[in-house]
Amino acid sequence: MPRYIALKLGRAVFVVWAAFTVAFVLLFVLPADPVDLLFDPAELNSVPPEVKEQMAANYGFNEPVIVQYLDRLGHALILDFGNSVQSGQPVLRAVVDVLPSTLVLAAAALVLAVLIAFGVALAATSTRRVWLRNLIEALPSGAVSVPVFLSGILMLQVFSFRLGWFPSFGDGGFRSLVLPLITLAIPVSGPIAQLLVRNFTTELHSGYVTTSWAKGSTRAGIVIRDVFRNASLPALTIAGITFGNLIAGSVITETVFARKGIGRLTQTAINTLDVPLVAGIVVLVAATFALINLIVDLIYPVLDPRLRATLAAGGSR
Amino acid sequence: MSDADDLRSSIENATRSRRRWPWIAGAAAAVLLVAGIGFAVTRGGTSSSAATSGEPVRGGTLQFALIDYQRSPDPQWGTNYAESLIGNNVTDKLTWQDPDTGEITPWLAESWEYNDALTEFTFRLRKDVTFSDGTPFDSAAVKANYDQYVRGDEKLGISPNGATLLPGYIETRTPDPYTAVVRFEKPLASFLQASSFTANAQPGFLALSTLKLNAEQRTDPTKVIGTGPFVYESWESQVKTVLVKRKGYNWAPPALKHPGEAYLDKIVFNTIPEASVRTGSLESGTIDATLDVGTTDEAPLEAKGYEIIHRGVSGTAILFNFNTQLFPTDDLAVRKAIQRGWDRSAVEKTVLTDSYKIATSVIAPSVQGYADYSGSVLKYDPDAARKLLDDAGWAPGPDGIRVKDGKKLTVKLLGISNLVVNKPAYESVQQDLKKIGVDLQLTVVPIPDYAANVAKAKTDWNVTAANRSRNDAAVLNLQYNPELGNSNFLTADSTGIDVPELTAALGKLETTLDPARRKEFAKAAQDLVVDKYALVNPVYDPAQVIAHAGYVHGILFDAQSRNHFVNTWKNDGK
Repeated sequence: MPRYIALKLGRAVFVVWAAFTVAFVLLFVLPADPVDLLFDPAELNSVPPEVKEQMAANYGFNEPVIVQYLDRLGHALILDFGNSVQSGQPVLRAVVDVLPSTLVLAAAALVLAVLIAFGVALAATSTRRVWLRNLIEALPSGAVSVPVFLSGILMLQVFSFRLGWFPSFGDGGFRSLVLPLITLAIPVSGPIAQLLVRNFTTELHSGYVTTSWAKGSTRAGIVIRDVFRNASLPALTIAGITFGNLIAGSVITETVFARKGIGRLTQTAINTLDVPLVAGIVVLVAATFALINLIVDLIYPVLDPRLRATLAAGGSR
Repeated sequence: MSDADDLRSSIENATRSRRRWPWIAGAAAAVLLVAGIGFAVTRGGTSSSAATSGEPVRGGTLQFALIDYQRSPDPQWGTNYAESLIGNNVTDKLTWQDPDTGEITPWLAESWEYNDALTEFTFRLRKDVTFSDGTPFDSAAVKANYDQYVRGDEKLGISPNGATLLPGYIETRTPDPYTAVVRFEKPLASFLQASSFTANAQPGFLALSTLKLNAEQRTDPTKVIGTGPFVYESWESQVKTVLVKRKGYNWAPPALKHPGEAYLDKIVFNTIPEASVRTGSLESGTIDATLDVGTTDEAPLEAKGYEIIHRGVSGTAILFNFNTQLFPTDDLAVRKAIQRGWDRSAVEKTVLTDSYKIATSVIAPSVQGYADYSGSVLKYDPDAARKLLDDAGWAPGPDGIRVKDGKKLTVKLLGISNLVVNKPAYESVQQDLKKIGVDLQLTVVPIPDYAANVAKAKTDWNVTAANRSRNDAAVLNLQYNPELGNSNFLTADSTGIDVPELTAALGKLETTLDPARRKEFAKAAQDLVVDKYALVNPVYDPAQVIAHAGYVHGILFDAQSRNHFVNTWKNDGK
């Protein structure tokens, strides 16, 4: 068991380091010079070279790439990512400023997505009419097929501009959260729902269900007591992917609804080649990603007795 | 945008459906949903209250929307519209340029004189001006600001933001508290206009206490102190900037004839990246006015009773700068043929709205010294263009594209996609040029990619397409002088171009402030750049467009088409 934990932990650390390194390399492979992006593009040809050099020196971009890399990595270890090139704000503060908005949005969207997914799976399993069942099973595919920016704008048109129920931009309180939350939850619920629908179907045909039938259980009883528990476990496995979907979806949701957040911050940071900011965001997001996968890996043996047995057997060898 | 990435990853991450027909059903459901909502949306319509002007009303909050946001509250730093626009309402400048006449008029400086060489400018300052922290605005403040603005401060992490605007700045002398003498190495006639400059990285005056702060400390908006009609209340990156009225303000540019404080109590600059959300928020009354109105939104908004106000951006047109070192744009005939080879009226009809104009010179009509070439070299004349190419030995090839010495007439263009009009306008030019046998290849990309490619423009691109806002004819010198911007990559041995002649003609723009002589020099410079050497192909004059509700009055476009709100008022009672 300790070896299992050490292995998973080592992998998590590696993922974070690799993400930092890849992000750094990508930013330097990109042909644009971050200093150029501090000027009006039309004026680039008339900026005196010594001014550019002074700017580069200001941010340490004049050092050899490997020195910059080691320097930034060393500082990243103590969570010092430096200051944003574009605003002068410390990276950590820039991230911490927007993180709560994204977290609230993502957490609420996740809860809603899971509820939708279970709703879809339960409905699909409970109905006996084939055409209805097929229709419900098609919903997850539909959910992931609708682009977030489109559903977001449509929702704004109806519920904000026409009906005036919700504010159209910004993030002031609960009412401004409703539309972005639904927009983000729909595509995120898709993969979860699909997984659940399939698991429900598989489990419904397994031996223990037949036993329950034989004992005289009702259909609802079987679905809720037996199938539900066993079918939901694999949904944990895609927690990492779900987190990825939430982050990716938040970029567009935040842009459409003009909310502040990590998604929009990332987009701007990449567009302006804000090296310290991108490095900081990548490390934090990768760390969260690795942490979620680590937790899933660690609690899986707790939840699944078969895995626990395998680990115990492996450990005794 | 990363829309496509997001969609793709969602699909890839989703488990694949086993049967085909649920997919079809899903797609059908989505289409029905979209169509249903779309139908609901398009039905009905709102209209804004009718305009009732009259006496200005004091008080109220203006909710304003725009696409960009301030990355830092420091107004001397910044390259986008939000930054320059908000900076203009928090800080003042030495002079005010009349947007209609281009004349430089007093502001914080009551009067000025300059030496004959135009290397020394003496400003007599107003004595009643204070910063919002109570400290006086005096010659020491001018000196401290200009010094830091031009040279930056390495210890504080402040960049030399003004180095390009004030080239050759030596120092500011302060013979007495209300006299500032600004000195330059070389004649710099355009400095007088620069002292009023309101666009990106502007010379707005900050209090000494602000100048002592480093870049990080300046992200606290309450510590960024100016003399302007508004002061910072808050700044939230990505979301909004809130300004409140400066109590006791009484030094608006005399030309505006606005006595005392601003009319509005408060302005909220809301950042709304999506065009449809900006217009939707205007129509639903959440905001009072919005900048960055899309070309396709202008007519519908006007039809619903909103007022559309606009002003062409003063400076150069959106134009093609030709690379004179690279085949085939090293051929004068090719450059001239491109100027004459595209139909202005087609771009006007299919791409531009009434707010935008077809370019008729390298500089916009609002710049003093502008000359009109729409009747001569910038007139659509495909036959003349064909003849130019025929005479220069360009013979039509098998695919219609002309060939000379076995090489095709392919012109590679690098442009920026930041203005929505750019790409469709270039595409219209592209279609017309094809008819005369010129293959114009377009690469129109976002700013970071553009900036990356500009570095290789000398060897890789025949055309770079951009514009520069500066309401002074000296912008020509800045952009085209081979010793400064050198947009055409001229060298001493450039064929067919008398480089010393061009250098001298452009340089003259910095040597006089006499309006008549400047006009003469500006005409001479345009004759060379547009006509004789055909170094540019001006396309259209960009504009800034605002849509606002009828109850909003007095939003002003300045000489650089940035907005000032000191005169703005609203009478909807909110």
